[in-house]
Amino acid sequence: MSQHSKAATSLLTAEHLRWRTDGTLILDDITFAITQGSFTGILGPNGAGKSSLLRCLYRFVKPEQGVITFEQDDIWQLNANDYAKNVAVVLQETPSHFNLTVHDVVALGLIPHKGIFSRASSTDNEKIEQAIEQVGLTHKTKQNFENLSGGEKQRVLIARAIVQSPRLLIMDEPTSHLDVRYQIQVMELAKSLDITVIASFHDLNLASAMCDNLLVLDQGKLVCQGTPQEVLTKEMLSDVFGVCAHISEHHQHKVPHISYYYGYLTSEHEHGEIHD
Amino acid sequence: MIKSKQTNNNRISWLGIKHINQTVITITALLTCLVSFFCALSFGAADISFIDVWHSVGPAKAENDIGYIQRIIWDLRMPRAILALLAGSGLAVSGLILQTVTRNPLADPYLFGISSGASLGVVILIAFTGGIFTVLTPIAAFIGSLVAMMMLMLIAGRRQSQQVESMLLAGVALSFLFSSLTSLLLYHTDPQAVTAVLFWTMGSFSRAQWENLLFPTIVITACITFMLAYRRQLNAMLLGDESATTLGIKVNRFRLVMLLLSSLITATLVSMCGGIGFVGLMIPHIVRFFVSQGTVFGILLTALVGGIFMVWVDILSRTVLVNQELPVGVITAATGSLFFLTLLYFRKNRPS
Repeated sequence: MSQHSKAATSLLTAEHLRWRTDGTLILDDITFAITQGSFTGILGPNGAGKSSLLRCLYRFVKPEQGVITFEQDDIWQLNANDYAKNVAVVLQETPSHFNLTVHDVVALGLIPHKGIFSRASSTDNEKIEQAIEQVGLTHKTKQNFENLSGGEKQRVLIARAIVQSPRLLIMDEPTSHLDVRYQIQVMELAKSLDITVIASFHDLNLASAMCDNLLVLDQGKLVCQGTPQEVLTKEMLSDVFGVCAHISEHHQHKVPHISYYYGYLTSEHEHGEIHD
Repeated sequence: MIKSKQTNNNRISWLGIKHINQTVITITALLTCLVSFFCALSFGAADISFIDVWHSVGPAKAENDIGYIQRIIWDLRMPRAILALLAGSGLAVSGLILQTVTRNPLADPYLFGISSGASLGVVILIAFTGGIFTVLTPIAAFIGSLVAMMMLMLIAGRRQSQQVESMLLAGVALSFLFSSLTSLLLYHTDPQAVTAVLFWTMGSFSRAQWENLLFPTIVITACITFMLAYRRQLNAMLLGDESATTLGIKVNRFRLVMLLLSSLITATLVSMCGGIGFVGLMIPHIVRFFVSQGTVFGILLTALVGGIFMVWVDILSRTVLVNQELPVGVITAATGSLFFLTLLYFRKNRPS
């Protein structure tokens, strides 16, 4: 694909992003483009800058250098409310001690679309109920958000994002702290929305199964990007993550599947040597 | 963690409050409000029966109405009860705002130093002009609370990420600082004024008169309307600053506006009835226990319950001691601190 046609189908691009805090360089010269309709995973060890990169994308922090565009517009030139109409974000932070029902939390997705004195119309309420149904929580609509399990909370937040009716969904480690079953459920839910998704991942196999496109960060630098087949190589795993692994093909959907080697001090495998 | 979650669920279902209808709550609250108001007009130093109150207030004017009862009810008790209602709802809403934008369930205008800032403003005015309470009082109170708020933002706002945590600590410290300054000023003031001021700082509705009710009524209604308009944004703040930002809210600006609103309510009330603590802490908690705070209904109910509570505090303050008035602040502080301790005790057993 030529550079030109790539730019034409890109929903979001980042060019030469650089961001530092307290003198430490957190993001260093990051450039990429997200194709419309794609599912992009951001990988990297702890402290690689995954969350910081996402924060730049959802305008929580402003990079000191570089430009992020959404449909060819610089996101910092856009009105905050207009950006929120197009981009929804699911984060892992959850509030506590406040009595908001599931319905109330999902209704927050209306904020960018509503004037200050307007009431929620019946269409809005339908939209909210539909979103709650889509994440399979209709029976808990009136329950307190705080009393839900981690997986349910995450699904409520996704329902909120659905109500926001965005064109891009950003998720920061949506599956951490979740049981395997909910990890898969939450990710499949995100995929089923048929919109562009950017999510950071801890589980590389889950990322491999879900994503069309992967970005790998290491110490603030974008070290590689491409399809799971291109990115998930044993060289990358040992360079970036410092683990030795065998890559095979997942027997169901043919994406790369990683098996880690354990106890390689005594291992006789060819990849078992330790590089200091 | 699982265990404590269960107890939490149990507590709620045990009270059987999850499915109480909104209309039932509304009707109960409104009726209670009406009855409380009647009691406030009836109880007091001069015994006035409910019948007399009804004759005086009710639609059917009695022929043989007694002049002094009419005057006690209309000139003394009515404005007082209205002021108590206003103060209670104002403080409750002000507490709700603070708790929401700082995401701290223990926030209260009193604990944040806003009340003591306002008190200091008033005491400075009294110390330097000599006049006890004038038109300038609310202005001095508002300036005082603004100074408190500015200092709070200045100290706590430096690091965005820890803003909420440091705000609480700074608030408590500021509250002490302002109180000590107030005491220092009082120490050098004319002893006669000191008694009046001391009684006022402990909270009292005795200054209630028809002509000075208008200003607090306007301020509090305006603030509640404003809050209702921005209720969605307020709820979004509960999900955290980052999530609120992603919903298109300019978080720091919004928080500042809401804090100013809260100071405005507090200052207005402090200038009228002195420092009344813990109402802002207590009422939103009680209401939140029964209804979701995110709705228009939740906000209005908080205001109403705050008002009812304060009307009863006022009744108590006038009737507990014969021929004497107990400072309102003493009663709210006593109930409030007990409530605070209970809250802390139960929070300890919950996952954080």
